[in-house]
Amino acid sequence: MKILIIEDETELAQDIVNYLTNEKYLCEFAPDYQSALGKIYSHEYSCIILDLMLPGGDGLMILNELKKLNKQDGVIIVSAKNSIDEKVKGLRLGADDYLAKPFHLAELAARIESIIRRKEFDSSNIIVQHELSIDLNSKIVTVNGISINLTKKEYDLLLFFIGNKNRVLSKGALAEHLSGDFADMFDNHDFVYAHVKNLKRKLKEKKYGDYIKNIYGTGYKWEQ
Amino acid sequence: MTRLLHKPLKAFALYALIILIISVPVYVLVIDYIWISELDENNLLTLQHTKQTLESKKFSQNDIEDVNHIWGELQPGFSIFKAKDKTYFRDSIYEIVRANNFDESDSENRFRGLKSKIELNGESYFITIETNVEESDETFFAIAIVTFVFFLLMIIGFILLNNRISSRTWKPFYQTLFALKSYELSKEHGINLPTSEIVEFQLMNESLEQMVNNNVDVYRQQKLFTENASHELQTPIALIKSKIDLLIQYKNIPPEMLDIVNSINAPLSRLSRINKNLLLLAKVENQQYSGHKENNLVPLIQSTLDLFEDYIIDKKLKVSNQVQGSINVTANPYLLETLIHNLLSNAIRHTSAEGKIIIKNEGKAIYFLNSGIDNLNRKNLFERFSATTKDKVSSGLGLAIVKEIANRYNWKVNYFFTDGFHSFSLVF
Repeated sequence: MKILIIEDETELAQDIVNYLTNEKYLCEFAPDYQSALGKIYSHEYSCIILDLMLPGGDGLMILNELKKLNKQDGVIIVSAKNSIDEKVKGLRLGADDYLAKPFHLAELAARIESIIRRKEFDSSNIIVQHELSIDLNSKIVTVNGISINLTKKEYDLLLFFIGNKNRVLSKGALAEHLSGDFADMFDNHDFVYAHVKNLKRKLKEKKYGDYIKNIYGTGYKWEQ
Repeated sequence: MTRLLHKPLKAFALYALIILIISVPVYVLVIDYIWISELDENNLLTLQHTKQTLESKKFSQNDIEDVNHIWGELQPGFSIFKAKDKTYFRDSIYEIVRANNFDESDSENRFRGLKSKIELNGESYFITIETNVEESDETFFAIAIVTFVFFLLMIIGFILLNNRISSRTWKPFYQTLFALKSYELSKEHGINLPTSEIVEFQLMNESLEQMVNNNVDVYRQQKLFTENASHELQTPIALIKSKIDLLIQYKNIPPEMLDIVNSINAPLSRLSRINKNLLLLAKVENQQYSGHKENNLVPLIQSTLDLFEDYIIDKKLKVSNQVQGSINVTANPYLLETLIHNLLSNAIRHTSAEGKIIIKNEGKAIYFLNSGIDNLNRKNLFERFSATTKDKVSSGLGLAIVKEIANRYNWKVNYFFTDGFHSFSLVF
């Protein structure tokens, strides 16, 4: 699957490329408006990460262009402005998601995963991980056909882990995923441990493999 | 506060009243003077005529007594009677108040009299002529009533004229006033004022239009600056954040190194929060959140509590939400949400473990109470970076934002400490 990163900050774009590139994703990078347009005209992307402030043009114009070309590429707006007007404008022009800078790379990865899944599976949207299956429409999680009763936060965490397999997730990234924008209002994110502990326990009770590993001093990792 | 056109009206009315009040005694004096001099002249002419007639008729003494008698019957104002001595007497004018023979009901009538001496048949006689004059208090009363009626007519006229002038001449002024009142800079468009034929109004409108256009320009520049500042700062922060995310992916990092990496996270999120809050403050100050709608605070408070649930449970806080009924507030929904988030996160952060938080409302006021030990310094509590705490994540701007948003909508925010509780109140 191909992902296009339209971002004028080369360093940041490179970090995103490094984080996302694996056996599943192939990343391309466009640092300005013109090169972004060129890539959009000539290729199809599963997901486009779009910074709105670009040298040479407004990122919103790229959304317009995609609409004109009738492209189905998923778009995540990544912006430093974090303004409601901009968010509403972007979503109205056909973007699928809006992520304010600064963000955790894990959060971006999880959102890309979610958009691609939405675009690829229209009716039956089920993730299967060995004996585990997650029905995204009905939000029912089953192990070997037996359903597990998860709280909303445990469910969100499970999806977040699966969207970031084999990557170390910091406590801060997990807290931000659960609390959104408000996580940085608080200094203590220990509650994350409780939720992960409960999730692990519930999966273990249903004899599901212990994939969530503790990483010393940092956080967790879904190893598979 | 009085309206512009009511002010001269009041002054005019007061001036007219004073002048008219002064005019009343002046009128009375003038009229009295004219009347009396006319009467005196009349009395004198009558006396001269009577004297000539009496002297030419050569009346006997008895005749004169008869004349006096008949005069007394026919015209009580006249009398002739014998003088006791023959000394010289100058004609004299006098004034007397007595009952009028024709009008018994009124015992007090003013008479103007003329007394003179005449020689008939070698005898001296006094002749008196008395004429009824209107009493001056009656004159005064009549003039006062007439004056008062005219005063009323004048005031009615002033009001009518004033309204006419205000609705015609001052119309462009009020149009301009209305346009200014409903003008919002944050909408970033100029102002359209009506053209006027009156030089001053036209000049005022042109100056105002120019001023507003300048302000719109300044506002745009400021907004652009804010946005640029945001972009410039958020990008390096984002970069540091992503670098740390990449760094922790490496295997076999020594634990001591991991501890250092992790300790970067706290100041980084604080930096991020301060930047975010400074921007928010700048935006609120620049009135950039202009959309208003009616919001109910009750569900907003509940959803905020749900949002912060993890932090509440983590600190084992007892939260008692005693808000009742519905509290409807007209404001920008995002700002209102920010206000409640800041007040509640503030309460959660500053309450020690197993403490208590109470939220309650009374009328148009809402209270956020959290258990604490000491009274906080009320003076600079709502100031920026007033650092009342050693809290590591505190941006030092949370309460400043609360105050700024409250100011924006003219709400009152206050702090007091009672019975072991910090209490923040918000009055809409």
